[in-house]
Amino acid sequence: MKSSYAYYPGCLASLSQKELDTSTRAVAERLGFSLVEIPGFTCCGAGDVHEARPEYYLHLNARILGQAEQLEQDTIMTICNVCTLNLRQANHKLREDAELLARVNKNLAEVGAATYSGGVEVRHLLWEIAEGDGYEKLKQVAERPLTGVRIAPFYGCQILRPSKLLGFEDPDRPQSLERIITACGAEPVDYPSKIKCCGFPIVLAREEVALGELIQPLAEAQAAGADAMVTPCPLCHLSLDAWQGKAAREADIDFDMPILHLAQLVGAAAGLSYDELLFKRHLVRTDRLTDKIYAETTQ
Amino acid sequence: MQVTLKIERYNPESDESRQETFSVDVVEEATLLDVLDVIKDEVDGSLTYRKSCRMAVCGSCGMRMDGAAVLACKTPMRPVVEAGEVPVISPMGNLPVLKDLVVDMEPFWEKFRAIKPYLDDGGEEPPVKEWRVQQAELDRVMTEALCIQCGCCVSECNSMEADPDFLGPAALAKAARFVGDARDRGRMKRLQMANGAHGVWDCTRCYFCNERCPKGVDPRDAIAKIGGEIYAEGMLSDKGARHAQVFDFSSHATGYLLETALVPYTDPMKALDVKFALKMVRAGKAPNPLRPHRANKLGEVRALSKLVKEQEKESLADKRTGVTVDRENES
Repeated sequence: MKSSYAYYPGCLASLSQKELDTSTRAVAERLGFSLVEIPGFTCCGAGDVHEARPEYYLHLNARILGQAEQLEQDTIMTICNVCTLNLRQANHKLREDAELLARVNKNLAEVGAATYSGGVEVRHLLWEIAEGDGYEKLKQVAERPLTGVRIAPFYGCQILRPSKLLGFEDPDRPQSLERIITACGAEPVDYPSKIKCCGFPIVLAREEVALGELIQPLAEAQAAGADAMVTPCPLCHLSLDAWQGKAAREADIDFDMPILHLAQLVGAAAGLSYDELLFKRHLVRTDRLTDKIYAETTQ
Repeated sequence: MQVTLKIERYNPESDESRQETFSVDVVEEATLLDVLDVIKDEVDGSLTYRKSCRMAVCGSCGMRMDGAAVLACKTPMRPVVEAGEVPVISPMGNLPVLKDLVVDMEPFWEKFRAIKPYLDDGGEEPPVKEWRVQQAELDRVMTEALCIQCGCCVSECNSMEADPDFLGPAALAKAARFVGDARDRGRMKRLQMANGAHGVWDCTRCYFCNERCPKGVDPRDAIAKIGGEIYAEGMLSDKGARHAQVFDFSSHATGYLLETALVPYTDPMKALDVKFALKMVRAGKAPNPLRPHRANKLGEVRALSKLVKEQEKESLADKRTGVTVDRENES
């Protein structure tokens, strides 16, 4: 079983979504994953640098891939959809075009950064625990089954599409989150827009359009009777959690939907405490759900 | 083999919608279009759908199978039958339904016309008898040139669902095809148009367009190409471009996204939303702007950004000129 990863938390989990980084580290320990820090990693540039400065985006990501290689790690573990696509797309381009790789490496070497030879895979935590040995391990560590809890999976976009760069599962009928929810003893709730966009990339530049996108999954998950939603992406989390109030006013629906990070869901089932998983850092209070989960313990 | 379909029917005369199940025998090689043809010929002549070339070139037979836009003529049914599935066939999304599986393409064409999908030579005479395009120049726009205007990308565009005026993936991919054309002299006008209220910055990067396109056009990537050129030209009037600028700047200023700069710089008015800001602060989600998180080895990325910026300038000069080969010496 693969147990050692170069760990790339990305910006949000290092900053405003700190609870994701903390929960991931705690969960990784339970799962027996050793997360090797990448000293001096930077932002992957998100979709923004990718669009605005495609050449610079390639260099930023090549540098991160090269840093992992320098650590003698063959796999980077990501915990964000956008980081996953950005790193995988750069990796794909650099690996298929020797001339490009040489040009990028020349620049990296010129500034004294780690160069990249093409030997690193980029995998999201979701994929590592949804199948194979990671999944078996997950079933072992899920010692506190979340019985009677109904969880709506929300995949977000850039863990599914474009499938030629991600390709872990059928982008129209994904099942990885459902498998994990079930392994945690909870009940997955199905609803049509679980594979759609949360609107986050444009929530500042086009708030009305973004809210229009955000309302749909919240409304459907709530109508389907979910106690909470879970997402593998900190951007989706921020959108679903922090913008939920605005979406509620816009839609005139009284949303009350706790949003879990994937690592928090697994952590709760693995017996980690409310405080260890930092549920208090959510904008939408999780009490209704966490009271149920931690019924036998005090918070 | 026997194929069973649930087809969404719509009768405009009575304004009635219903789902109808059809089962027919077809050859093993049958596509979805072949199945519809058999149903129309043998079961119900009133079933309405568009078709023409039957070979994924004309772009007429776009429709949804289980919610995903496909070209009916390019969709083999054997795997569906073998999986024991009874798919729901419905019209494409984001376009008004006229009858059964036929949508009104007029809003699609209207956006297409808006981007002026034809060569703007700026009145310039070609250096030889005609504008000769070199292979490298063609390669630059070849992906976008593959578009057959079927509408599959538009069908599931998440931004268009929320903003029906969004120019959308098909029209913007076509715009990219002309922005990148070595012969075109309308580049700046095209960039200004794409930089408008319902242009490239409306795209939420859901990547449904790339996923659905039956021809590999990758419309989202085309939208990003235009966004990149708008940014390179320093056109920062739109909130979307300024949003990108914060990511660009922070990646080498601190190495991490400067979250506290993102809102005030993208949209200063939003920074006045004190109630929302306080909620973020209370949840611990607002980092201290005076003590930003800094990456180690920051000198590397600063030097890298600067170095690549110089190279980007050279490439921008090429794009402004359009033609990248020496025409003078052509015969």
